[in-house]
Amino acid sequence: MGGMDGLYRQQILEHHRSPHNFGQLANPSVSVDGRNPSCGDLITMQLQLDAEGRITDVAFSGRGCAISQASASLLTDELRGRRAEEITELGSPYVMELLGVEVGPSRIHCALLGLETTQKAIATWRNKA
Amino acid sequence: MSNWHTTGGQLDPLKVRAAYPILATTPGGRPLHYLDSAATAQRPKAVVDAVSNFLLTANANPHRGAYTLGEDATTAYENARARTAAFLGVPAEELVMLGSATEALNLVARSWGRANLSRGDVVVVTEAEHHANLIPWQQVTREADADLEFIPVDDTTGEILWDRLEGLLKLRPKIVAVGHVSNVLGSAAPLAQIAPQIHAAGGLLAVDGCQAVANIPVNITATGADFYAFSAHKMGALFSGGGLWARAHLLHEMNPIETGGDMIREVRLRDATFAEGTQKFEAGTPDASGTVALAAACDFIDELGREQIHAHEVRMLERVLRELPDALPDARILGPRDVKDRIGLVSFSSDLVHAHDLATILDRRGVAIRAGHHCAMPLHEQLELSATARVSVAPYTTDEDLDALFDGLRDARMIFAR
Repeated sequence: MGGMDGLYRQQILEHHRSPHNFGQLANPSVSVDGRNPSCGDLITMQLQLDAEGRITDVAFSGRGCAISQASASLLTDELRGRRAEEITELGSPYVMELLGVEVGPSRIHCALLGLETTQKAIATWRNKA
Repeated sequence: MSNWHTTGGQLDPLKVRAAYPILATTPGGRPLHYLDSAATAQRPKAVVDAVSNFLLTANANPHRGAYTLGEDATTAYENARARTAAFLGVPAEELVMLGSATEALNLVARSWGRANLSRGDVVVVTEAEHHANLIPWQQVTREADADLEFIPVDDTTGEILWDRLEGLLKLRPKIVAVGHVSNVLGSAAPLAQIAPQIHAAGGLLAVDGCQAVANIPVNITATGADFYAFSAHKMGALFSGGGLWARAHLLHEMNPIETGGDMIREVRLRDATFAEGTQKFEAGTPDASGTVALAAACDFIDELGREQIHAHEVRMLERVLRELPDALPDARILGPRDVKDRIGLVSFSSDLVHAHDLATILDRRGVAIRAGHHCAMPLHEQLELSATARVSVAPYTTDEDLDALFDGLRDARMIFAR
């Protein structure tokens, strides 16, 4: 039971229940939807970036399992002030570190949805620029 | 019968479990409570033994070798087809053995559909269809510039509104394709009632029988269907395997969509003539071992008794419907309320606990359920749900399995309500 309490520990449940940075930005530089086709998890990630490619503001919205929503919420807390290229280099070890727990293969796609959508948003922003 | 039944003649799941070695295993160190038989049924040892026996004593390429072993393999394959046909109440000459039900439904759409659908023709399916009975029709109607129309579902329960078919029949659809039993709702299509209506309107009825054949007695001839597809692994046979029954004249008219060895009569360098009957659709070396497994699965299901299996599953589902609201009070149950209208499964959603979180939490007690859209995304869209949890039962489902399920649901409630 220990491993499970790890995955559904208090911090993750709190982020799921009261996600941080949840909502819309007034004037985002980019807004992108990410979806987990196998689960139906959905996340919209909005970023505000300055001329140097630094993230100045972030908001997300979405629906889905606790793992997808909590990991997106945890991630958004880390994004402000970071450069776009730093984010594109991040991968699943970073998300596991944020969650503080190893996520098994059947749920890893849920955990990565927030990061992958952020990376997609950055790619979209770059293509627009 | 006494091997698997109580003295009163009911199925005894504790006895039945002994026939399935996997149920005694402990994946992850936990006893296995397998409640995902609608995704794939567990295999009785009798099926594995039959495959092993064929491969170790009768293995050769069917329809080819002019030697005794080759004849043995051909006999085993054709006997297995005949056994499966008898199980389903159809002539063996009309039962095409294929790799899966998906392949069977694609064959109907791509062979019959391409030859018979043209601009403005109408195909009707339900909004609750499994993707395997939806996408082939999307593809073929798009190619033919034909129209795809839908029997709608109730926005709250997801129940298929069969009374809407009558209006759709005024469009004189060339074919109506429906699941015999919905893999999300657990409801059965009223085939005996709709088949004559469809025929009277000049259309054909194609049925996806995947969720029916292992859970209730199915006599395909009695359903009134013109095409009937089924899957072997949902019956306890192998992953590869499935079949399509079609009326003889339809098989005769249809062109093969796969060509190659074993399906020909004569081949010249620039053209070929095809074999008649089922062989026309069975290009390449037939799956003899898979078909032998399927026949053994039919034997085993009949040994348990299809009426008895259904009665046992109804008892299990009754308990799920009764106790689920206690264990997870906000559970929204899809499909019919009355257990008599339900076959094999119960799907539900909860605002408190997402289906994926539920499945992960249940796994800690060894309870295996399905979470997701169950290959029916449009139905979930209609119900404004991203995912549901699905509990499905089988002849080997016990009260202990359900106890573990309800305990796990209470765990989930505790975790998410804290």
